[in-house]
Amino acid sequence: MGLLNAFKLRFSTLGIVLIPVCIAIDWVGHAIATSLKLPLFLDSIGTILGGILAGPWVGGIAGFITNLISSGTVDPVAAPYSVISLLLGFAAGIGGYLGWHKHPPGWVALWLLCFLVASLGSTPFNVALYAGQSTIPYSDALLAALLKAHVPMWIAAYADEASADLLDKAVTVLVAVLIYQGLPRRFRSLFRLYEPRDDEPETTPALSRS
Amino acid sequence: MPRGLSIYAEGNSALHRAHPFTKGTLTLVAIAIGFIAPSLAWVIAVAVILLGLLTLADVIRRFVPVALGILLPITLLLLIVQGFANPANRTVFFPLGPLSLYREGLAVALLAAARIFCLISATFLLSFTTRPADLAEAMMQRGLSPRFGYVVQSALQIIPQSLESAARIRDAQRARGLETEGSLLLRARAYLPLLLPLVLSSLVATQERAMALEVRGFGLSVHRYRRVVLPDTGVQRALRWFLVALVPLAIGARFAGWR
Repeated sequence: MGLLNAFKLRFSTLGIVLIPVCIAIDWVGHAIATSLKLPLFLDSIGTILGGILAGPWVGGIAGFITNLISSGTVDPVAAPYSVISLLLGFAAGIGGYLGWHKHPPGWVALWLLCFLVASLGSTPFNVALYAGQSTIPYSDALLAALLKAHVPMWIAAYADEASADLLDKAVTVLVAVLIYQGLPRRFRSLFRLYEPRDDEPETTPALSRS
Repeated sequence: MPRGLSIYAEGNSALHRAHPFTKGTLTLVAIAIGFIAPSLAWVIAVAVILLGLLTLADVIRRFVPVALGILLPITLLLLIVQGFANPANRTVFFPLGPLSLYREGLAVALLAAARIFCLISATFLLSFTTRPADLAEAMMQRGLSPRFGYVVQSALQIIPQSLESAARIRDAQRARGLETEGSLLLRARAYLPLLLPLVLSSLVATQERAMALEVRGFGLSVHRYRRVVLPDTGVQRALRWFLVALVPLAIGARFAGWR
């Protein structure tokens, strides 16, 4: 079975209803960060939380649709990056399947995985759309400095994107994990769509998982 | 009932009446051609066509402020960074000592900005003239799972509701003495107390919503009847195939030396 077990499609009504909620958390997380004037996006907390709670498909679809809705309403340029959000939800789903969200070393692993997915995935789109820029002023200053120092384009473009993602994904993963820790115990396994890998005791959910 | 997040603008133009797939194809093809086209002149030609369609759909006045709001900061940043540091830079265009801007980089920035303009105008052309419900309905009639349609529709309604409750939670937490202004650390510390109550209440509501849906037969795998019929015509079908055929043609032309 292994890791693929987490990807087996088993959608309960509860799992489907969770997806729009994750999408809304993505939006609100970003809106609160903007209203507090934090220098971060924090627009994938719901995606990561969905991945941890219910597995890769819920997280992935939530991330994908978050970007599609955002591109259809406020930011058309978000559409190409929906693939990255899909992969980000998958990454969180794998982390959740492996139980990474339960202990601090796992949090670091989840952060590194999400950071790598986001930064490696976004760089080709940045190169195609913005000649390598991430369009975040501070990070683009880094790109300009690296290009002036004759660093190859692709490496400079990656450094540009990575410098923005490193902290953003750290806080995103931390917030998602803290929310998970703050959930009432029965919610932690309620949404899970795959058979748990380990034999942890589980409370019976109110709805049957079909 | 909240209006939802959609930016659909009521109208009765040919574009409003067209089948969602026709507009969707148009949008995707216009973006593809915008990025395949080799030079600034060609990309601007695509942009002009899109602007014409936006005028035809009578949404140009709503389009201009939104599009400029997105495009201007990006363009400025592109011009500065590429003009200053693009690896191809040779010819000084705007002498500023060590901060000179170069012709080659500025050209790269302009081309990128024109392409992004195509992307923005093609996307807004679709979202201004198409109800999200119609787009979802069209996709479900072609075999997309109705659950997917539910997810999109429901998200479009839940997002504005959640933003409202986030504002209420902010006021409530402030009244209890939570600092939301001041140093970065102070503001960062306010983040979780603002987000967590919302997440908890939405997760609790999830369970109720799932039960409400299940008793209405949401999870049943039975044949669903169409409530809405989206008018589609032979002309539109032909137009869609024509538009799709343009993409391989453009790619072929690029390989054959289209400059």
